[in-house]
Amino acid sequence: MNETLFRRIKDLPSTHLLGTGVPTCAGCGGLQALHQIYDVLGEKTVFVNAAGCMTLLSVYPFTPFRGSWLYTAMAAAPAGAQGIRDALDIQLKKGQITTDDDLQAIVLTGDGAAYGMGMSATSSAIERGLDFVYICYDNEGYGNTGQQYSEATPHAARTSTSKGPQGYPGYKKDLFSIWAAHKPSYVATVIGAEPLDLARKIEKAKEKQGPRLILALSPCPTGWDYDPKESADVGHLAVRTGIWPLKEYEDGKVVHTKVPRKRLPVEEYLKRQGRFSHLFEPMRNEEILTGIQERVDAYWAEIEG
Amino acid sequence: MYRIRFHGRGGQGMKTASRILGTAFFLEGLEVQDAPRYGAECRGAPIFAYVRASRSPINERGIIRCPDLVIIADDSLVTVPAAGVLAGVTDQTFMLVSTSEKAVTWSHRLNFAGSILTLPTPVEITDRMELRFVGATCAGAAARLCGIITSATLEQAVREELTGLPSSVIERNLEKALEGYTLMAEHEGCIKEKAMLSAEQYEVPEWINLPFEKASISAPVIHSSLTSELMPTGLWRTMRPVIDREHCKKCWWICSTSCPDGAIDIDADNNPQIDYEHCKGCLTCVTVCPSHAIQAIPEHKNPTSEETGS
Repeated sequence: MNETLFRRIKDLPSTHLLGTGVPTCAGCGGLQALHQIYDVLGEKTVFVNAAGCMTLLSVYPFTPFRGSWLYTAMAAAPAGAQGIRDALDIQLKKGQITTDDDLQAIVLTGDGAAYGMGMSATSSAIERGLDFVYICYDNEGYGNTGQQYSEATPHAARTSTSKGPQGYPGYKKDLFSIWAAHKPSYVATVIGAEPLDLARKIEKAKEKQGPRLILALSPCPTGWDYDPKESADVGHLAVRTGIWPLKEYEDGKVVHTKVPRKRLPVEEYLKRQGRFSHLFEPMRNEEILTGIQERVDAYWAEIEG
Repeated sequence: MYRIRFHGRGGQGMKTASRILGTAFFLEGLEVQDAPRYGAECRGAPIFAYVRASRSPINERGIIRCPDLVIIADDSLVTVPAAGVLAGVTDQTFMLVSTSEKAVTWSHRLNFAGSILTLPTPVEITDRMELRFVGATCAGAAARLCGIITSATLEQAVREELTGLPSSVIERNLEKALEGYTLMAEHEGCIKEKAMLSAEQYEVPEWINLPFEKASISAPVIHSSLTSELMPTGLWRTMRPVIDREHCKKCWWICSTSCPDGAIDIDADNNPQIDYEHCKGCLTCVTVCPSHAIQAIPEHKNPTSEETGS
């Protein structure tokens, strides 16, 4: 961490590379993370975008990017990145481009693709040692089609396909660990509400080679049902309640980059979002609330030893 | 056939309003089409929804170009060209506007010879996005204007469409739908069923036929970057963040980094500058500014250039 360009918050970029005018929802936590990520990754990038909310970024003939963008089917973005990497490698080998002209292949998908449909393609890409960066904006559901549940949906959240008093019965898949189990070059969790932590991790990912995977929790006013101006608050609370651990994997080790000193009760995070309102109204669902708190406590008990 | 077009902003329940009205017609035994128009269906963005209802099979398809009733749930949309509120309106059209102003004011402002009805909103509402149930009010009012939907049917339609939501939310919507229904009592049945269009009368869509070309010519390739900046997403804003230069500590990063859209840049003097062409009005900057130097003011108040700090 000593060589980081981002020692202090004042080292963060003050102008931004990503173009404005994209039709994502006001207050989009995914776009917040993406524009911060793009500032660090820079212009020498090709984005390979699987179907999802960020499909909205490049609606022909408009693009917010400074470089190329390739759109793929939902499960196929890592395969698209492989094609781009191969094409660049061939051009490099033939001397058609110099190393100065080389680009980084960046996969951009939502949680629907990352946690579910695209997992096989991702697993294979990591296994092949593909030199690419994977960015998942995780808004815990299929946001672009009306917030149906995905494998990233947290326990008890209401989605358009899990509406009962218990909400979604499953548990959010631990994608960080699944990715890390492949032993890639780098895996990290980030959130736009913690921009310094994010910038350092993206900087690290940028300097490395091989598969590098970034998981960005993306507070979603539309899907999570809260006022757009609360996106940053919801993001902070995800970290301060310990629900979203900020961590990284490299060289076989997992390090937590920001351990909340005194964790807030998970309720502080849950009660801000309409998707959990059935846990508080018409009466508190103690069983589910306690269950969620216990799982978070158990996670941190293991980390803190 | 009845042709009804709803206009509102994402988050104001226009899709639900069209479904409530459509279901109510259906329950009264009519054939129905109800559909929102898909596009940037994001909070604050202009949203369209359409309802057709008829006692005989409906052969018309697509968007409603010449509506009998135009419902405007957010009067700030009238001046937004992209919202197309006045598209296809004639002096036979009824307009129902949710507004704090008088119908006659709107008639003069729009130079509109048709009938304007209003659903009064409180003057003190600063952000119209606070009107969370305006869609239900509009659906209830529209049901009364068409004259063939009973209040019992309206109630059943609201309950059917909102199944699964907390009962407090359903009751609140129902209350608002019936409020709209009651408010339109004196205009009951003013919207008359119109004749079906024959195929010959059907207006040809404004599309351009393109010859089939080789992929190298016809495939979508964008050669310039940052073209998204041509899209004025600032039109979505209902509340405007304004930086108070006296209180701004020029911290140089907090609002600029937190703005989801990257619509705040820092100028050479370390002053943050909000790009109002593209700021969607999410007000994240208002929330995150530690010195509370950014205030939110209603967009319709047309701040002076001094207030915007530009």
